[in-house]
Formats: sequence, C-alpha cells, structure tokens
Amino acid sequence: MASRVATVRPPAVHTVRLTTTRFARTWPYVVPALFFFVGWQLWPIFRALWISFTDFSFLLDASPGSAKWVWFDNYVTAFHDPLVREGLMRAAIFTAIFLPGMVFLPMVTAVLVDRVQNRRLASAYRLILLIPAMIPGPLIFVLWIWMYSNGIGPINYFLVNLLHIYDVTNQPTWLGSTDLTFLSIALMEWWWGLGFHTMFYLAGLATIPKELYESARVDGASEWRIFWKITFARLRPILLVLVVLRFGTAFALIDEYILLGGFNRDRPTYTWTVYMWDTAFQVGDQNRGYAAAVGWIGTLGMLAVVLWLFYLFRNRD
Amino acid sequence: MDTYEVDVPVEDEEFIDDGLASELTRADLLKRGAATGAAVWGVSALFGAGTAFAGLEARALTPTFYQWIYDLHPDISKHINKDYAKRARLDAKIAPVQGFGIDRFVAEAKKKKSTWDVYVGMTPFVEMAALIEAGVIEPWDNYMSKAVLTDLIPSIRKEATYQGHVWAFPFLLDIIIQSWNGELVAKAGLDPEKAPKTWDELIANARKVVSSKAAPFGAVFDAHGWRSLAPITHTFSTNVYTPAGLFDFTNDATVNALEVMKQMKELAPNNILEPGKVDGGVNQTPDEEVFAARQAAYYIKYQNAPTRFAGTWPDPSKLRIAGLPKQPGGAGATVFWDTGAALFKYGQNKKQAADYMRFLTYDPRIWRHGLGKDVKGAPGQLAPYSSLWAKWQKSPPPWMADWAFTVYDQLKVSQAIRTNKFGLTQFFIGQPGWETYLKGTEKDPKKALRKARDLVLAEVKKSKKK
Repeated sequence: MASRVATVRPPAVHTVRLTTTRFARTWPYVVPALFFFVGWQLWPIFRALWISFTDFSFLLDASPGSAKWVWFDNYVTAFHDPLVREGLMRAAIFTAIFLPGMVFLPMVTAVLVDRVQNRRLASAYRLILLIPAMIPGPLIFVLWIWMYSNGIGPINYFLVNLLHIYDVTNQPTWLGSTDLTFLSIALMEWWWGLGFHTMFYLAGLATIPKELYESARVDGASEWRIFWKITFARLRPILLVLVVLRFGTAFALIDEYILLGGFNRDRPTYTWTVYMWDTAFQVGDQNRGYAAAVGWIGTLGMLAVVLWLFYLFRNRD
Repeated sequence: MDTYEVDVPVEDEEFIDDGLASELTRADLLKRGAATGAAVWGVSALFGAGTAFAGLEARALTPTFYQWIYDLHPDISKHINKDYAKRARLDAKIAPVQGFGIDRFVAEAKKKKSTWDVYVGMTPFVEMAALIEAGVIEPWDNYMSKAVLTDLIPSIRKEATYQGHVWAFPFLLDIIIQSWNGELVAKAGLDPEKAPKTWDELIANARKVVSSKAAPFGAVFDAHGWRSLAPITHTFSTNVYTPAGLFDFTNDATVNALEVMKQMKELAPNNILEPGKVDGGVNQTPDEEVFAARQAAYYIKYQNAPTRFAGTWPDPSKLRIAGLPKQPGGAGATVFWDTGAALFKYGQNKKQAADYMRFLTYDPRIWRHGLGKDVKGAPGQLAPYSSLWAKWQKSPPPWMADWAFTVYDQLKVSQAIRTNKFGLTQFFIGQPGWETYLKGTEKDPKKALRKARDLVLAEVKKSKKK
C-alpha cells in the first residue's frame, strides 16, 4: 500500500511547468501567423460586418465609431435596390460563361499535353502554356483592350480589312454595352489562366497510377470511358479546388469590369462589386455602411454557393 | 532665344514687401522666413521659439502635381519651379500613382495633417464640394490677392467660388469646342474655313461628309455627359441647374441637346457610346480613335483632344477649331472646367502657396507652350486671366493658335458645371436614362431624360441627411 502511494506523482508543479515550457517553446512560432490571420483576415471581415450595420459615410463621419448604428436598414435598402439585384444577376451570368471554360479547357489541354511522349516537346508545351500566366494583370488588360479595339485592334482588322466580313460602320464592338462583353472578358481570362490551371491538372494526372489505364485497356474499355471513369474521377479533388477558386474570382471580379467597362450603370460590367466600390469610394458622401452591406450580401451568396459546391464534389468513395 | 518676363499684379508683390514695413509678430516672421527660404530653424532659435512650432514651419512649400500636368507643360518642372526656388523654398512633388486622391486627403485631414500644402489638380465640379464637406481644404480668401481675384475671367471666378468663398486657384482651363478635319470637309465639297454656325448646319455638313464618302463618319462626340450633353445644352441655355446645384435633365435645353446628340450618333461609329480604355472608362474613348484615324470629320470635345490627335495626321495644319455652334436664340455658351489648385487646411506655407500659384499661372511660358501653334500636340489650355487676354488681343502674339480668340470669346458667356458633390457622378448615374433615347429603346427624349433625373434623385436620396 505504502509503495503504491509512493508511486503517485506529485502533481501540479511538474505538469504545470511542462505545459508552460511547451507553451513557451511552441506558441512564439505561431504568433506571427496568428497576428496576420487576425489582423489581415478576421479583423477586416468583422470590421466590414460591423460597418454594414452603421450609416458610416466617409466624407461626413470622423470614423466608423462616430456613425449611427442602424441595425438592418442598409440590408433592407439593398434588398430593394434594383442595382444590387441586377448587379448580382450580371455577376452570375458572367460566372456561368466564364467558369466552364476556365475549368474544362485546362483539363482537356492537360490530358492532351500529358499524352505527349517526347519529353522535350512536352516541356516546350508546358512552357508556352505558362507564358500568359507570367504576364502581369495590367499588361494583360492593355493587351486585350488593344486586341478588341475597333480602330486599331487586330481582331477587327482581320474581320474588316482582310476578310471583309464587316466594314467600319458595322464591325463588332467587343467591349462596352454589347452582348459580346462578357464573352470577350471570359476569352481574355481563359487565355490568361489556361497555362496556370493546366499545371494543376498535370499535377493531378501524375498521381494517377498508370496501371489503372493499362488494366482498363486490357478489359476493353474505350478511351472515352477511361477518361470519364478514371481520369475525370481521379481529378475531382483538383476540379473542386479550381471550381471553388475560380467561382470566387468570377463572381467577385472587379478590376476587369472597372477597366473595361467604366462606371456607366447600364453596362453589363456594372456588377454588384463595381456598385459596392462606386458607392464606397466615389458617389456622394461615400456611404460605406451601405457599401459594406452590399458587399456582405454578395459574400453570403457566394458562401452559399461554395457550400453547395463542396456538397456536390463530396468524396463518394 | 526667347526671354520671358513674368507679369505679376503689382499688388501681389505685397507678399514680399508689405509686412516688412509694419510690426511683425514672431509667428509672422517665422512664416515669412520659411516662405522666402530663410533657415527657419535659425530664425526660431534666434527668437527662442518652441521646437514644435519651428518644426511645423520648417518644410518648404510642398505643392503636388499630377504627372499629366508636368507632361503637358514641361516648362513647369524644367524652368518655372527652378525660377521660383530662387525666390523661396519649394519642394514640388508629383502625385503618387497609388495612395493619392480624396481618400488620402480626407484620412489625413481627419488626423489634422497634410503631406502636401497645395493640390494642383483639383477640378471644381468634380471634387471641390467633397473636399470642402470633408474639411480637407480651406478657401484662398485670406491668401489670394485682390489683384489676382479681380483679374480672373468672371465665369472662372464664379467656378472657383462656392458658398461665398474662393476655393480654387484656377490654372489650366479646358473648354468644350467644335473642331473639324479640314481635309475631309474639303473632300466633301464644303468650305473648310467656315465653321458651322448652328447645330443644324453642323449635322447637314456631317451628313454630306458621309454621303459623299469623304469619310465613314460625319461627326463624333464623347458620350460622357459632362463632355457632350451638358456643353451642348449650354449652347441653348446655361440656366439648367436646379436650386440644389444639380444638372436639370428635364429642362427644354437639355431635351434639345439630346436631340442634337441623337442626330450626331447616327453619323458616328457604332461604338460611340462605349466607355474609354483607361481611367475607369473615362479616357481614350472611341471618338478619339476615329478622329485620330481621320475617319470622322466633325468633333465635339475639349480643345486638347483634337490638337493632340491632329498631331498624328500627315498634315496637322488641316485641323480647324471654333466655338460650339448654337441655334438661333440660344445662349451660345459651352462648358469649361479649370484644373486649379486647392489649399490644404492642414498644410503649411499658405501665403507662400498663393504667391507660388500666382507666379506659376502668370508665367507666359505656360501659355506660349499651351497655345503655341508651332508646338506639336499643344494642350491648348486657356489662360484664366483677363489681363493676359487683353494684352494678347491688343497685340496678338505671332505664336498664338488662330482659334484661341474665337474660343476665348465663347468662354466669356460660358459656365462651368455647378459645384456639387454629385457634380461629376450625376452624369454617370443618369447616363443609362438618356442613353435609352440615343440607343432607340425610348422614342421620347423627354421620357429618357426624366428617367435620367429620377436615377440621379434616387442616388441623392440615398445620401446621408445630416
């Protein structure tokens, strides 16, 4: 009995010291990441949420703290605002045009490049595909604005001066208020992102055991069936990542819209993001409380879609 | 080599002389020491002034310019600032590409500080009301001399004044005019030296250009309301503002202007209503492309657009410029705007700022370069002072562009768009409304303009009521 008592550890001091030491040794490494996570992500998110419940106007109020708390007024107004509804709808249309091309074109390209047997040629293809991804965004926009230009752009030069399909009075206007606007922007984005996204799929393809293909072929499966049952099925996790990432990019696109479409509210490019920016930084007293509410409505809509995408692409193994 | 003499109103020399004869306070001496380039630290030490105060006045006058102003007027950085620096301390800056603009100004003002003393680049109808409302700038009233104030062309003085105070120190004036490509007009069998006097005449000429196949397009304009709808409206009447200072979209003059635009649009390229390629769609607009490419004969825009694009033609001398046409009984005015200077409330060296702006804006090199007919791509911005124009009219300088006096005459009756915090944005907000008529989806111009008005009023209503 006595010996049993003797084996019981004297409590706390040792455990507390151990825990403290472990804490002191490990947590300092986490602090920088925690600092950036809280300061750069959590704080702005909650700050914007808080501002959305106030009537904060940048030009009139000294700080958001001095603005009036208006509860859900901004949200109620935003739900009745045709510009918000129309802006969300325009963003959804662009996303529907943009997303399939941005996800499936690289997949097809990756499958084709993956089949190239010659190593040098395969590397050359990869390199060429990656060139657009190396070009900074502003240069891409300048380049494509020139491409689509009516007077000096090579696309219309080809259609008007070489093929004579159109003349200068009826040539297609690619950007601005035409039905071609979203398709024109999507084309630019596909070209820009093709190489980068192809690399994602190539990485995914490299993880698929070659034996699976060999066995399927031995069993007499067609190439089409092999693609759907092996390649596509195994690339689902990559597909999920790309769909979620690119859905976010497409639905919340703003730079391209402002650069290519300006602030005319009738343009298809005047989406909820541009409206939010316009309200927060340009119009009237710069009503940032309202702009934050518009931003949160868009964000919540996006979060709902992302959750649905996660469900859609859930692991079914 | 040309020599230049800076015309300075005699009264304004008081900046240097007046105080010396009267009793000086310590603060006055420190301020003037800073302004005239004296070592303020030394002066403040001599008088035992507090370090904080000395530090406050230690910096040289710090105006900030947009890069485009330096580009269009290279004499500013090459000569004028250097000349001024011989007279007083100057630290002129170029506006940073990022982190510059009303947000930065307001954020600094909220902390009661300012990186710069003077903002050279303020366009009153665009941003003046917002800067005043946010407490960023203060009036020039106590710093601009009476001589300068009375020398301003009255319409420009009116533009710079808001609620009884002068908030802008006018500098570079842009004005909406008509221009035409003389070569295309002659090819259509019209007299290239004869400016269309009425809108009907301009449209008839433009039709003839198209029907004669002299050019594919007869007339072009910039679709932004402050560059087309408002100036064309001013040719009918300038009494087109509501008591709140908003543009009156439903005025009869505005309806007339929209009808003129509709007729011109039929003679313009199919992308004429599209936004521009840079600056949020505001610049490099489709009209510029076709006029530069010599595909359009008549052009309605601010003066430095045609002067720049004619520089790309094989023979730039074919460019002709005149004031906007007017209909019989119309006001015969147009729209202009001045890119002037604002005085930061929490800046320093305020009296020196006024002295510098006067030194800069009276310098003949600016106007010689800007209005010189031998200067390639001359910006054509007009001088804001009556005395300069009186002198030039008395003895026309050989270098001056032929069109300058014609446009100056129209300036006398013209008006700027009223200062309002929706001064610029009302034209973005209302554009979808009036464009329904231009696009043909609405047949009645009055209904289209009512829609434009309603869109603007809805946005104004959203604005906070304080």
